[in-house]
Amino acid sequence: MILNYKELDWQLIVATLLLSFIGVAMIMSAQHFADSTFKQTYYIRQLIWLAIALAVFAAVIHFPFRMYDIGSYLLYGFALLLLVLVLFVGYSRMGSFRWLSIGPMNFAPSDLAKLALIFVLARYFAYTKLPPASKRRLAFSAVIMMLPVLLILKQPDLGTALVFPVILFAMWYWSGLSPFYLLLILSPLVSIIAASHWIAWAIYLGLLFVFLFVYRPGLIFGILIFTANLATGSIMPLMWNRLAEYQKLRILTFLDPGTDPRGAGYQIIQSKIAIGSGGIWGKGFLGGSQARLDFLPERHTDFVFSVLGEEFGLWGSIIVIGLFAFIFIKAIRIAAKCRSKFASNIVIGATTLLLFQFLVNVGMTLGFMPVTGLPLPFLSYGGTSLVLAWSLIGLIVAAGYRWQEY
Amino acid sequence: MNFGREKISAAERSSYAIGFVILIMFFCLAGLIRLQLFEHKRLYKMSQDNRLRVLPILPKRGLIYDREGRVIVDNRPSYTISVIPVEEVKYRTLPQLSTLIGFDTSRIRSRIKSNTVSRYQPAAVKRDVPFETIAILEEQYNRFPGVSYQMERVRDYLDRLGVEAFTGYVGEISEAELKASGAEDLRPGNVVGKRGLERQYDRLLRGTEGTSHIEVSASGQIIGEYKDELPKQPTPGADLWLTIDIDLQKACVAAMDTFCCGGVIAMDPRNGEVLAMVSFPSYDPNIFSGVIPESLWQAISTDSTHPLLNRPLRGLYPPASPAKLVTLGAGLEEGIVTAHTTFKACIGGYQFGNRFFRCWKAGGHGKTQAVQSLERSCDVYYYQLGAELGIDKLSYYYGLSGFGSRVGIDLPGEYKGLNPNTDYYDSTFGKGRWSRGLVLNLAIGQGELLVNLFQTVQFYCGVVNGGKVYRPHLVKIIYHPDQAPETVTPELSFKLPFSESTINILKEGIRLVVEGEDGTARHLKNPNYSIGGKTGTAENPHGENHSWFIGVAPFESPEIVVVAIIENSGHGSEIAAPMVGKIIESFMKKRDGNKELILADESESKGEDE
Repeated sequence: MILNYKELDWQLIVATLLLSFIGVAMIMSAQHFADSTFKQTYYIRQLIWLAIALAVFAAVIHFPFRMYDIGSYLLYGFALLLLVLVLFVGYSRMGSFRWLSIGPMNFAPSDLAKLALIFVLARYFAYTKLPPASKRRLAFSAVIMMLPVLLILKQPDLGTALVFPVILFAMWYWSGLSPFYLLLILSPLVSIIAASHWIAWAIYLGLLFVFLFVYRPGLIFGILIFTANLATGSIMPLMWNRLAEYQKLRILTFLDPGTDPRGAGYQIIQSKIAIGSGGIWGKGFLGGSQARLDFLPERHTDFVFSVLGEEFGLWGSIIVIGLFAFIFIKAIRIAAKCRSKFASNIVIGATTLLLFQFLVNVGMTLGFMPVTGLPLPFLSYGGTSLVLAWSLIGLIVAAGYRWQEY
Repeated sequence: MNFGREKISAAERSSYAIGFVILIMFFCLAGLIRLQLFEHKRLYKMSQDNRLRVLPILPKRGLIYDREGRVIVDNRPSYTISVIPVEEVKYRTLPQLSTLIGFDTSRIRSRIKSNTVSRYQPAAVKRDVPFETIAILEEQYNRFPGVSYQMERVRDYLDRLGVEAFTGYVGEISEAELKASGAEDLRPGNVVGKRGLERQYDRLLRGTEGTSHIEVSASGQIIGEYKDELPKQPTPGADLWLTIDIDLQKACVAAMDTFCCGGVIAMDPRNGEVLAMVSFPSYDPNIFSGVIPESLWQAISTDSTHPLLNRPLRGLYPPASPAKLVTLGAGLEEGIVTAHTTFKACIGGYQFGNRFFRCWKAGGHGKTQAVQSLERSCDVYYYQLGAELGIDKLSYYYGLSGFGSRVGIDLPGEYKGLNPNTDYYDSTFGKGRWSRGLVLNLAIGQGELLVNLFQTVQFYCGVVNGGKVYRPHLVKIIYHPDQAPETVTPELSFKLPFSESTINILKEGIRLVVEGEDGTARHLKNPNYSIGGKTGTAENPHGENHSWFIGVAPFESPEIVVVAIIENSGHGSEIAAPMVGKIIESFMKKRDGNKELILADESESKGEDE
């Protein structure tokens, strides 16, 4: 397909390219003083991956959008199949089966499942005649979301599984579910927090009951919400005991970094020292002592933002955050502009995925999110992550280019 | 915001979404500003001049006390010199350190390698370094880049009381132990129990490590604690109160003093508490606290008297005459003899087939009944009884009396000995290719039968305790750091396979060994308290006989059973019996002294009441 290349959203593309190159520079700096040439040349491999990602991006924008529409359920089924497969023949690291080996590459089916979920939900919400708050609609979309989540929890990989409900939630919102219902659906989360003390929990449940009684969102819905609140508040302590040891540790470490000072807590402390020591202007390219002295673990992957904060300080961080903000806002504008509901939903799904990873990763390096091991899109070292992020941008750019199509 | 149930407009929808994105961005910005503006100075200093280091805080290893709370194993402070691998300067650190502590560089290198936990944590090179060395290090720390020292507690054992027989000792964990333990809290360089109670109760004694974050300057000097992280305090190890009575232990060591090799155990028959345990020759467990010099290790491990052999636990001996109680018990139970049965008279030996089996008394004992046979320890009586019983019956009773299987004391490494039966002889010598006469030797506790001292002492405890055998144990109370003290309850191990009447006959025999006119240990008889016992002389093909004695006191209601074996020394009645007599004397003196004190106390307080 021939495109009118002038009509592409070049601002969006350039902003993303800028982020990717900043990433390459940070990866180079992070391992510049490493003791092996293999580590020192991470950035070259990242450049090669960037070339591949750009090729994928080009392919995505040339692909007719209607094909995604037709193929979405197929892709979803394929992703589920791979998720089942990975449980049996997966390549395991640290006790969880997350990767499939294809030749020399390790590929995580959960990445494909994220894309598939976005496609399926986008299609379902684009064509369903049911009103946004209809129970059947809510339930069906929740089931679609839960299937891959259950398979991923079986691996087990809690961090990745968290993305799926977030995508569903964003799609609900975008396809017209009013904040009233959204808040009600979120209320069980509040219940978990309130359940830490029984008086607080009782007051909370009382208030919820009164609220439901006065506003009457529908009898069955109301009962469901109330039961969900009751259940999460009372079952959570039991669920806690079923978490894997490292998951408990990560949550505990997040709540109190002192509990595991040699592991995840140590990483957070070192990350905070790195970012904080950068100050306003930073220590300059290749000037970060935290990174150089080997204090900061995983600095080219999960903690690449800490290297940026140390070497380029507040101004560098603001530029990166600004670029991300620019991309996200642009994407939401595109989603609002699209005439095709399907394309609009796709753009929102893609944006949500990127935004969620951004928040969780940056939040982790700043010390207010738990250590989850989610990479920072475009910046972190890693081929699959980069290709996935660029294909999401490809979808957004393609939708923007064809905004007039129905 | 629209809280109604109706759909929100598309325009509203996207502006809320954009608002949400901006909110998240400001959230991140706030985090950045907090770290990079408000905390910048502190964090910058930390990254530039200082290094953050995670240091383990070693817990205090639990102490070991005797039954009256007197310290047996203490901790004393000492200095350990370590090297932080990442800060080592090539061709400088090691040669300099070598001149300081006297290890050659290759030894230091291998010590660092085996004790490295992480490149940022000190790896112990030499423990228990004198203060003078530390003073040099402190003064000239520039000369020793990467070298640091830590205060550590080193075990301090009561010296010259033979306590190592049960305490064992500690040492640096070996690579194999580290792998085998599977414990997550153990790291290279940790000190763990290697033998004895130190090993058996290592998990309890060790405690749990704490951690602290330390800021260290570029030259390796500790600046102070990292303020943001409170150190996680270590949990000290549990203290152990043993069943051992140090006074009695002392008495045992004093009584053994003139002999070369052997072992003594004193036990309370009413509950299995081990009151004293000595292995001779002893060694000083303190030498293992630091790094033991190669020459000393060579000397101790090649010593022909085997000081490292724990005689009570791992020394295996023929039980000799003390085993006659089992043979007699078996005969009584099987109905082969009654209390009044006599066999052919003893004429100083017994002709069995074409072989003449000697009695220890060349002049012979004449005819004896059951009880006298024990009193005089007449071998001929037992040759005949044994021949009637046969090997498998005898072996069956030996087995049920606890011989040939571990007593299960709370010490690692017990040897179980050997209780042979026909299967054993068939497989060793070939089916039917062994003499029937072997049973005669087994009947007097000789031949292939091998037992350890704990099996012997627990058997006699059982006999004087009406057949009930309590499991020998060494720990009386465990003082956990944060729980109520745990008192170890005596455990009934097994019951002897003898009826009450059999046991009474055996007891009478034991009594007469000391009290009887012809008793083999009649010289122990004294007016103050009654003693029972059994002598034994184990034939030793390699040299002089081993001398056995088991003493029981006070006989009417026994509170102590002492077993002793003195290697290569001669007759039980001449060597071991007087020695055990001394130990019992000291026990009874203390016991009666305490009683008098208590009586005095009571009368005093009564006086006040009136």
